[in-house]
Amino acid sequence: MITLSGTRGRKNTLVGLSALALVSVIAACGSASGGGSTPAASATASPCASNTVLSATCDTKTQAAVTLTGAGANSIEPFFETVFYGYNQKNSQTTVNYSPAGSSVGVSDIQQGTVNFGDSEIPMTSSQLAAATGGTVLQIPVDLGGVAISYNVPGAPANLKLDGSTLAGIFDGSITNWDSPLIAAVSGVSNLPNLAIKAVHRADASGPGYDLDQYLIDTAPAWVTAIGTSTPSRTWPLATVGIGEQLNTGVATYVSQTSGSVGFVEYGYALQNGFVNAAILDAAGAYVAPTEASIALAGAQATSLSSTNFNVVNETGAGVYPLANFSWTLVYQKQSETTTAIALGKLLDWVVTTGQQDAAALGYAPLPANVASLAQKTILEIEGSTGTPLFSS
Amino acid sequence: MSSDTTGVLPREGVAVSGVRAALLQKRTRLGEHAYTVVRWGGAAVFAAVVVALLISVAGSSSQALTRSGVGFLWSGTWNPAAGEYGAGILVVGTLLTTAVAMVIVVPIGLGTAAFLSELAPGWLAGPLSTLIGLLAAVPSIVVGLWGLIVLTPIFANQVEPFLASMPLLGWLFRGEAYGPSVLLASVVLAVMTLPTMVALSRTALAAVPVADREAALALGATRWQAVRKAVIPAARSGIQAAVTLAVGRAMGESIAVAMVIGNRPALPTSLTAPGATLGSAIVNQFAEASPGLGTSSVIALGAVLLLLTVAVNAGGQALLRSGGGHRAGTAGALR
Repeated sequence: MITLSGTRGRKNTLVGLSALALVSVIAACGSASGGGSTPAASATASPCASNTVLSATCDTKTQAAVTLTGAGANSIEPFFETVFYGYNQKNSQTTVNYSPAGSSVGVSDIQQGTVNFGDSEIPMTSSQLAAATGGTVLQIPVDLGGVAISYNVPGAPANLKLDGSTLAGIFDGSITNWDSPLIAAVSGVSNLPNLAIKAVHRADASGPGYDLDQYLIDTAPAWVTAIGTSTPSRTWPLATVGIGEQLNTGVATYVSQTSGSVGFVEYGYALQNGFVNAAILDAAGAYVAPTEASIALAGAQATSLSSTNFNVVNETGAGVYPLANFSWTLVYQKQSETTTAIALGKLLDWVVTTGQQDAAALGYAPLPANVASLAQKTILEIEGSTGTPLFSS
Repeated sequence: MSSDTTGVLPREGVAVSGVRAALLQKRTRLGEHAYTVVRWGGAAVFAAVVVALLISVAGSSSQALTRSGVGFLWSGTWNPAAGEYGAGILVVGTLLTTAVAMVIVVPIGLGTAAFLSELAPGWLAGPLSTLIGLLAAVPSIVVGLWGLIVLTPIFANQVEPFLASMPLLGWLFRGEAYGPSVLLASVVLAVMTLPTMVALSRTALAAVPVADREAALALGATRWQAVRKAVIPAARSGIQAAVTLAVGRAMGESIAVAMVIGNRPALPTSLTAPGATLGSAIVNQFAEASPGLGTSSVIALGAVLLLLTVAVNAGGQALLRSGGGHRAGTAGALR
């Protein structure tokens, strides 16, 4: 949130500087779109005759004004903010309020039914689903993101090579200085400064924490010994080493202002903050830095993705970034209020189709085709209060 | 015509005023009744809220308390990822941050209050009081953000390395200078409790009779000696009340502390080591909805915090009663 508003402030200044130039451009755009919209609307009128058809051309046409509220993953916030804003520009009748309080809030809020949709970096478990008060929860993959290991070390090169063992050593406290021979051996950089390592993890339960925990369990036997389990956890398992900060913003703030620090954040946040990120050893034996392309390659390995088979950490394949994950939007299958349900379904269909165009610029990868079609298929399962499906494709 | 009206009007006036008087009396009685109802009703609602809070907190935390028993209070490990829940380290963290915050805030707060009420010229005292009042109105999350964004780098790069390099006291501040630490959390708490401390102690000092000061001055005391030897001792009970309130606020603060303490649920090895408090652990874990023991344990932390706060308040009251006996007047000014 902090960093977001910061970026927006800067944009506003730029806009203000060239305000005079823009006025004429806006005027020109206004007249152009005004002239062109009438024939376009009449042309698409027949396929969208019913308000419940899900397709890119019909998604932005609703009849009544609706405000949708959502809560959940902090990692998806930059993507959601842009996509929801874009959707609102196309369809001013639908307003979305999303509270990026964390995946665990997304799960508990949808369980209690206090929001129209939740979002979690990790799909809900069967026991969490059983605790949902409104019946069956549909879990829809909406974005593909990565977890960056960002560091602030003066004099260190970008994309420092790290493997599971060195990362485990950094986060379990057995490697305490950047000039450690263990880091030099893996990274091939022998002149790192004599500077204490300040490892920062998430203080709240998080998706990025779960992904890194999963990767360390897969690749570093010492990590499994240190945490005493081989089951990954959303709550960071070794909170007694380093410090904990809340949300991606808290970790990002700490990394950006503290020399010697290293932490994990959603790649979108690392991109916004201009962090340098480590290149991580992947299952194919190569060191890969997080980029939109390497995260997309990880997602492409998810050929049989489902809410119970969601893990895309440490996938095999050339050029695959090992710390990737899908974010899952949570909605109740049975919706009591038809107008809201229709607006929600159309919004989500937009998010998993047209909205994906915004992903790359924000540090996410567009959903692979098979995952996008899984998402669309799941949205079609949304039902009205009578138990009949609301939408057709 | 005029004589007629003048003849009638007074009589009517008498009748009207008689009715009005009766009405007035009735209204007074109604008012009395209404006031009684409001008084008792208010008290009953307040008591009901407190009792309901206690019952629901005790009920929701029963699972954790029945599993660990009283041991929950001092069991050392708080590691929700492994399903280990104990409040001991968090209790230590809460008491430690509060104590350090009081070490900072009591001298500064008392000094400021004494300056404002005894020494400051009027043109300075007014604006300064307004500023301190403004500080009280700053939401705790803003103070926390200020701590995270502004103070953290200063502490990590300057304050903590400097403190650790001090010749005799350095061992109190040894270890890695992370920035977020018990000390930083205490400083943030001190900033948040300063307005309470200043406002209440100032009222207590102002309530000391002028005669006390004049007597001290007449005996040849300097202004500083008069404040130290005559005014502050006379206002002791009021100052204790201020400290009690400040302690309560410091122990319960959660969000701001979670932003600057580093959230490490381990026994702090020094004042500059990261730590965790009951409040910060609740903030970090409350959303983790895994039903059952986890949720129950987080609520149990709330119960422990409630107990600690009640204990401190009771302790403060006891101190007030024992110490305030011979100076009931000044203590009364605050109650």
